[in-house]
Amino acid sequence: MIIELRGVWFAYPGSRRHVLRGVHMRVEGGRVVMIEGPNGAGKTTLLKVLALLYRPVKGVVLVDGDDYWSLDPRTQLSLRRRVVYVHERPILLRGSVLENVALGLKLRGVPGAISGALETLRAMGLEYLAERKWRELSAGEAQLVSIARAVAVQPELLLLDEPMAHLDEDRRELLVEILRELKSRGVGIVVASHWPQDELLRIGIDRVVRVVGGEVRAL
Amino acid sequence: MNIVEEVLEITLRSLVVSGTATLLASAWSLPLAYILAKPGRLRSLMASILEALVGIPTVLLGLALYMLFSRSGILGFLHLLYTVRAIVVGQAILITPLIAVTACRVLKSARESFEEMALALGADDLQAMAIALREALPGITSSVVMGFSRAVGELGIALMLGGNIRGTTRVLTTAIALSVSMGEYELALYLGGILVAISVLVSLTVRLLKGVQGL
Repeated sequence: MIIELRGVWFAYPGSRRHVLRGVHMRVEGGRVVMIEGPNGAGKTTLLKVLALLYRPVKGVVLVDGDDYWSLDPRTQLSLRRRVVYVHERPILLRGSVLENVALGLKLRGVPGAISGALETLRAMGLEYLAERKWRELSAGEAQLVSIARAVAVQPELLLLDEPMAHLDEDRRELLVEILRELKSRGVGIVVASHWPQDELLRIGIDRVVRVVGGEVRAL
Repeated sequence: MNIVEEVLEITLRSLVVSGTATLLASAWSLPLAYILAKPGRLRSLMASILEALVGIPTVLLGLALYMLFSRSGILGFLHLLYTVRAIVVGQAILITPLIAVTACRVLKSARESFEEMALALGADDLQAMAIALREALPGITSSVVMGFSRAVGELGIALMLGGNIRGTTRVLTTAIALSVSMGEYELALYLGGILVAISVLVSLTVRLLKGVQGL
């Protein structure tokens, strides 16, 4: 899967300030891109445009060569389901970890969503969290659970917003292993972080781009 | 009818009148809140106007509705004045801004977080909306409870539209006002205690139900 932004401008509804200004960028399966830049530079907005959640006010978003926002809603949904975005602040539903991890599979109508979710938790070494309630998790555990929820749906492109933010050293190590494994399976990974981190470099970053004032510069 | 029976009757009437008003107000306030929770300048302006109306004096609203419902008023043909139906309508209008504004805040937050999370995870628009609504449910319930508490404790509308008629439109607040005017402070305090107990009990029951359902 290839997502390409061509001259993308974005402003939030009701605002005249452009958060993204003429962005050109390309992300694809099996490659890891790191987006860095200071707070408020537009990293999160860029990720959400890449995740096909935000419609640009100007410019084109091409998915495998097709102009995504001119496609019919059904095709848009099937393409959007191949990309998953994970928020910086973990957003978990009320319920158990297992129910949370099964959510994406349930939304796709996958039979055996719960067993699929359990399998993902097991593969990520998080099986011990399965029956825990959302409010019983630490910030780091919640972050890993939200990443597990994304991994469970086997996306072709995984977009992570500050994934290391709440993790301690051991859990960072675990996440690096998970991301390396995903990359080796051909999953494209885009990580936004406001400072470069050694752990992220060990995933095997193919490209680093810097966002400053809504503009993207290749490094 | 002895005093205990009369107090029971007034309490029951208060519950039914304010409960019905709350249901009625919820029926239009919650969809309105959902619409206002979406981004947009006009919606934001409407939400600001509703916010300003949250604290509208009940006497002022009661007077406006009295003029509408009186025989010579535009809605005089409905013959609502001095009936419990008039109090229900008045209270429902009174608590509409409160329920709509508080539910709107909850829904806005749910839309920004849960709806977007669901979309990011592959939900279609309906699935995302259902998830956001489910997650917003405890907050929505709280806004409805707040609306009920405001309705059951208001005096101006019940007095002006209901007329405090014994056995027909007398509710707890109008009975308290009458007791005070007659110098029966002990009875007024007793009725006031019931009023406070109703609000506390409703709030506790909802909290208990939320706990049972894991909300």
